[in-house]
Amino acid sequence: MNRKIKVKNGMQALVSLLMAFVVSGILMAICGYQPFLIFGAIISGAFGSNSAIVQTMIQATPLIFSGLAYIFASKAGMFNLGMEGQIYMGGIAAAAIGGMNLGLPAPVHIGLTLCAGMIAGGLFGALAGVMKACFGANEVISTLMLNFVAINLTSYLVNYPLKAPGPVAQTQNVMPSAMLPKLSAHSQLSAAILLAVFTAFAVRYFLGRTAKGFDITVTGSNRKAAQTAGVRIRRILILAMFVSGAIAGIGGACHITGVDRRFVDGFSAGYGFDGIAVAALASNRPLMVLVSSIIFGALRAGALRLNMTTNLPTDFISVIQALVVIFVAAPMLVEDLKSSGYKLAGRLTGRRKEAKEQ
Amino acid sequence: MNIETIWISTIRMSIPLTLAATGSIFCERAGIISLVLEGMMLSGAFAAVCGSYYTGSALAGVLCGILAGTLIGLLHGILSLRYKVNQVISGVGLNLLVTAVTTLSMQLLWGNRGNSPQVQGIPHFTGVLSGQSVMTFITLALTAGAWFVMMKTRYGLRLRLTGESPEAAQTLGLPVQKLKYSGVLVCGAFCGLAGAYLSLDHLNLFVREMTAGRGYIAYVVAIFGRYHPVGALLGALFFGFFDAFQISLQGKGLPPQLFVVLPYVVTILIITFAVKNIRQPDGLGKL
Repeated sequence: MNRKIKVKNGMQALVSLLMAFVVSGILMAICGYQPFLIFGAIISGAFGSNSAIVQTMIQATPLIFSGLAYIFASKAGMFNLGMEGQIYMGGIAAAAIGGMNLGLPAPVHIGLTLCAGMIAGGLFGALAGVMKACFGANEVISTLMLNFVAINLTSYLVNYPLKAPGPVAQTQNVMPSAMLPKLSAHSQLSAAILLAVFTAFAVRYFLGRTAKGFDITVTGSNRKAAQTAGVRIRRILILAMFVSGAIAGIGGACHITGVDRRFVDGFSAGYGFDGIAVAALASNRPLMVLVSSIIFGALRAGALRLNMTTNLPTDFISVIQALVVIFVAAPMLVEDLKSSGYKLAGRLTGRRKEAKEQ
Repeated sequence: MNIETIWISTIRMSIPLTLAATGSIFCERAGIISLVLEGMMLSGAFAAVCGSYYTGSALAGVLCGILAGTLIGLLHGILSLRYKVNQVISGVGLNLLVTAVTTLSMQLLWGNRGNSPQVQGIPHFTGVLSGQSVMTFITLALTAGAWFVMMKTRYGLRLRLTGESPEAAQTLGLPVQKLKYSGVLVCGAFCGLAGAYLSLDHLNLFVREMTAGRGYIAYVVAIFGRYHPVGALLGALFFGFFDAFQISLQGKGLPPQLFVVLPYVVTILIITFAVKNIRQPDGLGKL
């Protein structure tokens, strides 16, 4: 198929991203800010120095996981909006297991900790899968409601049973044996990003090259045909939600063992929800998630820097992300905007005739 | 915890749910998936505070809230109907957009990402009906009105037909697109009002993401009420009770996280176990 379609989708995503930048730039201008100044500051905050690039990678890592999680469920035709909650569940499980002094060698302890995060996130995702598969519960609602449950449950745990002494609601540090190794001695960047990249390739392989993966994509594209072909739909839906939740859970576990080193109440700054925009920009393709996560990670890192140094409003990046989600889903709207943009440009430069042909 | 306070609190918590669920009924009966309720309510809540802040009048604030909700409804309608966007994605995308825009605007207008300054709120009765909000009665009247329009008028019949079978409506020569737009716009207006109630009735200020999932709960209330305005009112009271119960447990030394989740858990249980046999409009989500 499909090379052409893929290129077309990629272009559509790229145009959507540019359009989102333009619209938010216009918004900034209306609000009396200089868009180029803000974007320039964000870019230099994201790529301007070694530490800035490292920060971009750190911000991109959880986005890779949540983007992949969203894609995995959507390949089976499900909307998993519960990544935020699954990240929290994975994080708290990792913090609990990683905080135990088990006397294990580091690789085993790390593996165990990540597994705990994966299983916690996966079970939480599978819960919504079971509700959908066995009772027909709308997964948009159930996953979103489960987010509130997860956030409050983990908040309870770090405020009461698992709270470390001190004023802040957080757990004990994880044991040194459970911490993900750093990639270089001086930077904060941990091996989590390698794991994220590996996961992207694994998801691509699983969905594209295995029989189960094929079952999942068929279920997603035509549930009735899949049923006729003998695919066990219920199992596939539950499996897809489990794996989706598991990926988000590892993301949470990686953030705990690689960056924060402990579970702080409310640690995930919307990483789960940003996964929706990441997946949209990647046109639901696992490897493109790596690219789109870097873009959104850069926006986040740049905004963080901007927040520290100036008081420019940084919520513009959330506006950009939301616009990307909408534009990618609306190719016809993008076409319309594009042609009216051409017309405007044509009018401005006095080349009406050419513009009409667009 | 006495029964009277819980009852008053139940009514208070059920008003925004009733309004939003009634809006959802108009939208879904017209065949458009209404997962955008959350964004409509949030925009309504924010615009209401803005309106009240700049004019000093709660009424102007409420009108601004209704307008903002209707605007989001218009966007949802344009995206779904004109540009054929998947209605779930359109809804979720707009919710994300409203969350981002309201937070951004708060920072721009008041230099604070967390909450707005206090503004003039909706008046409450004194005397016999002391403490009751004007909105309680407006909500009851609107529910009755919605029931009448939906079930007893020609417009309501046509709207329902459009949602059940757009092809049949088309064949009869009905203006299908216009009817669908009307459904989603009415939904926006109701949700905008619900949002205005949230921000202007008790707190009199806007807090970031103050709807806290109520839009999604209202979506479930509409289904639970069998897409009937009166059913929505009863369903909203049911959900409002759990919210009120949860609030009455606060400040008693118990960990608040454990019962704050009560309304969400009830929502999950209801959508999983209680609505299986409720039929959705046949043409829902189709174009």
